[in-house]
Order: sequence, then C-alpha cells, then structure tokens
Amino acid sequence: MVFMQGFLDEQFNQLEELQDESSPNFVEEVVDLFFKDSSRLLTNIEQAIDKYPQDFYRLDSLVHQFKGSGSSIGALRVKNECSVFKAHCNDRSLEGCRRSFQKIKREHATLKQKLESYFQLLRQVGPREYAVCSRK
Amino acid sequence: MAAAAPSPAPAPAMSPKVAVSPKAVDRKVVPVVAAAADEVSNEVHVLAVDDSSVDRAVIAKILRSSKYRVTTVESATRALELLCLGLVPNVNMIITDYWMPGMTGYELLKRVKESSKLREIPVVIMSSENVPNRISRCLAEGAEDFLLKPVRPSDVSRLCSRIRW
Repeated sequence: MVFMQGFLDEQFNQLEELQDESSPNFVEEVVDLFFKDSSRLLTNIEQAIDKYPQDFYRLDSLVHQFKGSGSSIGALRVKNECSVFKAHCNDRSLEGCRRSFQKIKREHATLKQKLESYFQLLRQVGPREYAVCSRK
Repeated sequence: MAAAAPSPAPAPAMSPKVAVSPKAVDRKVVPVVAAAADEVSNEVHVLAVDDSSVDRAVIAKILRSSKYRVTTVESATRALELLCLGLVPNVNMIITDYWMPGMTGYELLKRVKESSKLREIPVVIMSSENVPNRISRCLAEGAEDFLLKPVRPSDVSRLCSRIRW
C-alpha cells in the first residue's frame, strides 16, 4: 500500500484484518460510511464558520466528530489537521480556523481519491493479490 | 453491511435469526425449539451505543468477530428505552461512547447503575479523548473499563476475557 503511506495509519490495517468471508467488503463499507458522514459534517462546519457571531463551541464539536470518525478509519492526515483546527477554536482564532478548514477539505478530497483508486485496484487484482497488497 | 443500523430491538428471543445483521454467516445456529422469552442464551449479547455510524460499524464488527451478538443504537436515550422496556433481552454488556449529543455515555452509565434491574450489567465507556479526570469519574461511577478510541480488537478481547459472563 505504498501510495497510501502517510495518509492512513495502523487503524486502517486493523480494519483490513477484521474483514472476512462474513463481511468481505467491510473496509469499503466503513469508508463509505465515513465519506457520507464527513460530507455532511464539512457542510455544517463551513456554515458554522461563516456564521456571525462565531460559535466556537459548536465548531469545535463538529470538528471533534469529524476527527473521531476520521481516526476510526485511520485517516491520519485528516485527523492531524482536525487537531490543528481544534487548537484554533480554542484560541478563538477565526482566521486560523478558516485556514485549517481549507487544509482539511484538501486532505479529505485527496484521501477520498486515493481510497477510491485503492478499492478499484483491489477489485481488479482480486482476492489473492489483495492479501499481498495489504501487507505493509 | 455487517454493521447494524440503529434498528429497533429485535423481537424477544423467539428466533435464532434475531440478529441485527442478516448477512452474518458466522452466527451460530440455535435450534428454534430452545427459544423462550426468558431463557438465557449461550451467546453473549452486547449493546453498543454510539452516535457515529462509522464507530458503530467498527465496534459491531469487532464484537461479532468474537462471536458476540450485537445490537447497536445511536443514542443513550434509545439504549435506555430499549433496556427499560425489556426490548433487548439478556444484555451481557453495554459498550458506549462517552460524548454523544443529548444524553452522554456517562449519564447512561449512571442511570444503568442506579437501576435495580440493570445495575449488574457491565458498562464500558469509549472515548477519543484521554482525560484522566473523565476516566476516573467513569470508573468511580461503576464503569467496567474505559477504552480509548479508535478501539482495536485487542482492546475488546482483553476486556471481554476479564468479564464473568
């Protein structure tokens, strides 16, 4: 999974290890759940940032949720950028939040692209090769 | 999808196929003749509570991989409803997220421990935040354990091996 390096952490491997015959598409299903959730959260965060007066508590809460589910699928860079965002919320820095949010969106989009390619590749090479691909 | 949607409680144990996940071929087959509403099932039944659909899917899969039966709900309020109305029979453990909108996992823990009917059920709290204060408060309130998210299979097996089912 060389091309995923840096984007995903050990948690993603944990998910792959959980996948079995009873749920052969588990990882992709969880990833789909994440992107469904995250699209909604990103919209809400964007609205909350543009709202005046800013509600940093709500912003923090939304990013916290985003960070949580990102972390559950091993989305390392997304998770880290969320921590930066939370720090800006803490400092009540709207400008910091805006900057960080742009980064989060970029990381999120990149991750989505990479994972889509990854699952496509897995479908092409088939289950035997998958076992090889999934070794670090 | 292996994980359950926050479906309403399965019918009281009249059917072995009461599983929330219809595709789980790893379910053990229980003869129908054994079914009775108050009969204790051999299967460990865990109630998992989390507002995040991702986390529900993951915790359910981890638990099902250990052959536990899992019911998932998306709120503490719903969990209490099911428990108090007796709609989830024979729950052997509750595993809940700490922070959820509405009622928190901590509040759920307190309610469970205050209830004469429910207090024997071990309650495990999960949280993405490592806050020592929070952890000790939960343990003081009677939590069985406190797991940091993201939860791993090894965390769950370590925890479950300690519990006397």
